[in-house]
Amino acid sequence: MIEITDLHKAYGELEVLKGIDVCIKAGEVVSVIGPSGSGKSTFLRCINQLEEATSGRIVVNGQDLCARTTNINLVRAEIGMVFQSFNLFPHLSVLENVTLGPRKVRRMPVKTANEVARRVLEKVGLSGKINAFPSQLSGGQQQRVAIARSLALSPKAILFDEPTSALDPELVGEVLAVMRDLANEGMTMVVVTHEMSFAREVADRVIFMDGGHIVEDGPPKDVFRAPKSPRLKEFLRHVVHH
Amino acid sequence: MTNFEFDWSAVFQAIPALVKGAELTVIITFGGLFFGFIIGVTAGWIKLAGNIVFRAIANIYIEAIRGTPFIVQVMFLYFGVPLAMGFRIPPLVAAIIALSLNAGAYIAEIVRGAIQSIDRGQTEAGRSIGLTVPQTMSYVIWPQAFRRMLPALGNQFIISLKDTSILVVIGVGELTRTGQEVIAYNFRAFEVWFAVAVIYFVMTFSVSQIIKYMERR
Repeated sequence: MIEITDLHKAYGELEVLKGIDVCIKAGEVVSVIGPSGSGKSTFLRCINQLEEATSGRIVVNGQDLCARTTNINLVRAEIGMVFQSFNLFPHLSVLENVTLGPRKVRRMPVKTANEVARRVLEKVGLSGKINAFPSQLSGGQQQRVAIARSLALSPKAILFDEPTSALDPELVGEVLAVMRDLANEGMTMVVVTHEMSFAREVADRVIFMDGGHIVEDGPPKDVFRAPKSPRLKEFLRHVVHH
Repeated sequence: MTNFEFDWSAVFQAIPALVKGAELTVIITFGGLFFGFIIGVTAGWIKLAGNIVFRAIANIYIEAIRGTPFIVQVMFLYFGVPLAMGFRIPPLVAAIIALSLNAGAYIAEIVRGAIQSIDRGQTEAGRSIGLTVPQTMSYVIWPQAFRRMLPALGNQFIISLKDTSILVVIGVGELTRTGQEVIAYNFRAFEVWFAVAVIYFVMTFSVSQIIKYMERR
């Protein structure tokens, strides 16, 4: 579903990704962990081309993202993205935040788009907040609206960029619960996270990145219980103690 | 002490003429700001997203206008340009062009600043749900940026409205010019300039109240 071959990304002299090869299957839930500066967010942002790769190949659903003939906007609608800082549209109500994509990208009539929005908002437990504005919601609620905004486009996969890092500790649970439900329904998910419990319990697969490389890649039980590289051992020692 | 007495009848007699002048002031201000807004949005947009040549043109325009007095711009346009071009511009048209060009330069900076102040994450969120660049601009960035522009635009509106008084130098019969003409036959300078000032104030105060109301919504 997502195939990445020899992905490089550099900002001028600074090489952030030094050759990433990874293949993510439909329905897989992948957690990407690693120290800050390891390139995990850049890697995620390359998948929907918010960052343009310096070289390499990214194929999503059989479409080569770097090919001229590919309409990147339509590919992006197929891959949802949830940001650390939510990035809801503050001038639009919850309903309008969720329906903007369906209406403008999918060209859905307002009525159909509203029905879709009601359905996905119910799924994230926010039916009661349809007419609220983002500033009236808690961080956890905002992030759930952001997830609903992605879901409204019926994406084939959703990318999560540290979705709980900006939340107060007591609000992390409600967002993780929604993500867990999505995982159980078979949504393909790539989650950059510091939540080791999520990586351990929900992910099918954990990727550990360091210094622009994928250092380890495997099922959570292997990665967490039997880390092979010294760097992963070091990293796990640090996060466990925090 | 002088034995000056405020002559109300001079004010009342002047009012119909002054109101006519104020109407022209309003017409010039609205005309100038309408075109100035179009120029400003275009120039501000070019400064953000244009290629190097267009950016340079926009920069020269903005700096030239901001670095010269409005009265010089008006006289250059009305008395200077026709000599070079070989045709005269009617005073009212010259007035509106001058005000548009002047306000446009300031509005360009207001527009650029407001668009730049919108968090990058907004663009990314718009693009990540599949919106094109123009769609992201019109549904996500512009509505937020416009809200942030309002106070500065209101301020520019008031400045431009007051700047129309400078148009006396090309003989446009706006409020200040009308005041001069009234005084030329009744010699009641105190009363008439006082009335002119009050009318300007009523106009600028209304604008600032309207902007305040719009900001609250």
